[in-house]
Amino acid sequence: MSDAYAHLHDAEQRRQNRKNAVPGRQVIIKIKRCDGPGKPSRWESFKVKTEAGSNVISCLKSIAANPVTTDGKQSTPVVWDSGCLEEVCGACTMVINGRVRQSCSCLIDEYAPREGDTLTLEPMSKFPVIRDLWVDRERMFHALKRVQAWVPIDGTYNLGAGPKESPEQQQTRYDLSECMTCGCCLEACPQFNLEEDEQAWDTAFIGAQAISQARLFNEHETGKRLKGERLDTLMGAGGVSDCGNAQNCVKVCPKGIPLTESIAAVGRSTTIHAVTRFFRGK
Amino acid sequence: MNQPQAHAKPGPLQKHHFLIRRLHSLTGIVPIGVFLIAHLVTNSSLAWGKWGLRTEGRGYSVAEGGIKYFQKEVAWINTQVPHLLLIEITLWVSIAFHSILGFYYATTGKGNLPRYPHQDNWRYSLQRWSGYIGILFIFYHVATLRWGWTFLVPEGTKWSHDFSASTLAAALQGSPEGWTAAGIGISLFYFVGVSLLVFHFANGLWTAAITWGLTVSEKAQKQWGVACLGLGLGLMVAAWASLGGALLIDYDEAKGIESKLIVEKYGEDRLEELLDAAPAEPERPDEQAMADD
Repeated sequence: MSDAYAHLHDAEQRRQNRKNAVPGRQVIIKIKRCDGPGKPSRWESFKVKTEAGSNVISCLKSIAANPVTTDGKQSTPVVWDSGCLEEVCGACTMVINGRVRQSCSCLIDEYAPREGDTLTLEPMSKFPVIRDLWVDRERMFHALKRVQAWVPIDGTYNLGAGPKESPEQQQTRYDLSECMTCGCCLEACPQFNLEEDEQAWDTAFIGAQAISQARLFNEHETGKRLKGERLDTLMGAGGVSDCGNAQNCVKVCPKGIPLTESIAAVGRSTTIHAVTRFFRGK
Repeated sequence: MNQPQAHAKPGPLQKHHFLIRRLHSLTGIVPIGVFLIAHLVTNSSLAWGKWGLRTEGRGYSVAEGGIKYFQKEVAWINTQVPHLLLIEITLWVSIAFHSILGFYYATTGKGNLPRYPHQDNWRYSLQRWSGYIGILFIFYHVATLRWGWTFLVPEGTKWSHDFSASTLAAALQGSPEGWTAAGIGISLFYFVGVSLLVFHFANGLWTAAITWGLTVSEKAQKQWGVACLGLGLGLMVAAWASLGGALLIDYDEAKGIESKLIVEKYGEDRLEELLDAAPAEPERPDEQAMADD
């Protein structure tokens, strides 16, 4: 585990678990299941034989091959979302043992090192469940559209080379650019709540993910052109000032993105923007 | 899914969202936080008055020096500070604004300490709980000692700025004769309330620096955190010294000292006048005996 992950919860404990894991053991995977939007959820447990390097995804696959619960009931394969399987797409994010993270990079050795240990899987609670562990993360992409998280270069003619950026600027922005829209920061945020109704997305707290992406493009030499509009959005209801400074976001971010610094930086930009706008009168 | 209410006009809270949020942050510091500092420094003179830079308390015992200094401070505020009522109204309006909005904002969040038990998250939850309990405390404190709602005070002691230390002690200890069960309850409420409010201010000062964008980097946030912790600890000491001073005061001793101060400054007649104007204290056997003599 690199230093960038050292801040993650119980990193040392997990390292120890991995060292002491019993080979070939059986573990219980306890899963919060749901048959579809609006349907009630229920718990099901499955016994799974681990192999060297087993992760949550491989366990879910072996459950799919033989979906029989610990009390002998025939069940159905568990549904989950996944893409890259190397912790860069964010699709397989779920709540594991009460804490949000990606399931593909979640090694069973680190979480259930002894025979009969239980690993609990739940879907993220801040996004609508589609089925089982699969949630609809559309709200995050909607938020990216709201803050215009892009560089405006579309047009009818070649704009030529863009302005130069300093290495320091590139370095700051590189960290922010690692965001994979996984939703960990929002799941852990006490100010970000589940909103099933899309209409509420524009006024409920937007969360660290979009605020940090707004900063990424505000600090881009060409992306800057939309800075005022981005800040206007983030000064509205549900914007940056709805942050409650619990600072859970930065502690669960799998990419170690300095989300709380982004929130403060956007706070500073909005302060300046508001004063400027007041005296300029528009 | 597509509800038409989204096209409804945004209310004033939404339209001026940013301004109102920032005013909420600002009022917590000015005037409320600044007042809190001044208030606790003044009140803690009950404990340090003997050594005060103004020499009212010099050469007396800790208790007597504290009572003398505190009484002079209270008299100074009540007679020398200009536009006292204006200052008070500004404070009351600010506290009402800050607490009503703060309560509304706090209800938009859902604490998740059991799952994410980080230090910052603890402070997030504590900030909200200290707000809820703190405003109840402030209301009780102001209503009883300032507005004279004596029916909420055990034995109905009314606070008087001419007998500031003795009436404060009676209101907190439960009676002019000393401790009662109700007095212990009230004093515990004061201890919890004032401690939570000091935390609320110190932590709020830390988050305000993030809100306004003063502390951007993690290091700056940490450094400012240390500064806020220092201020918070200092204020906590002042708060506990104020409370400790009030709880250790002997009613009769304090009243004697205060009476002497009034006689020195305004003469016997004024003292008679004040004692007559004061609401009848519960009948006390020793006074009864003195009257008979």
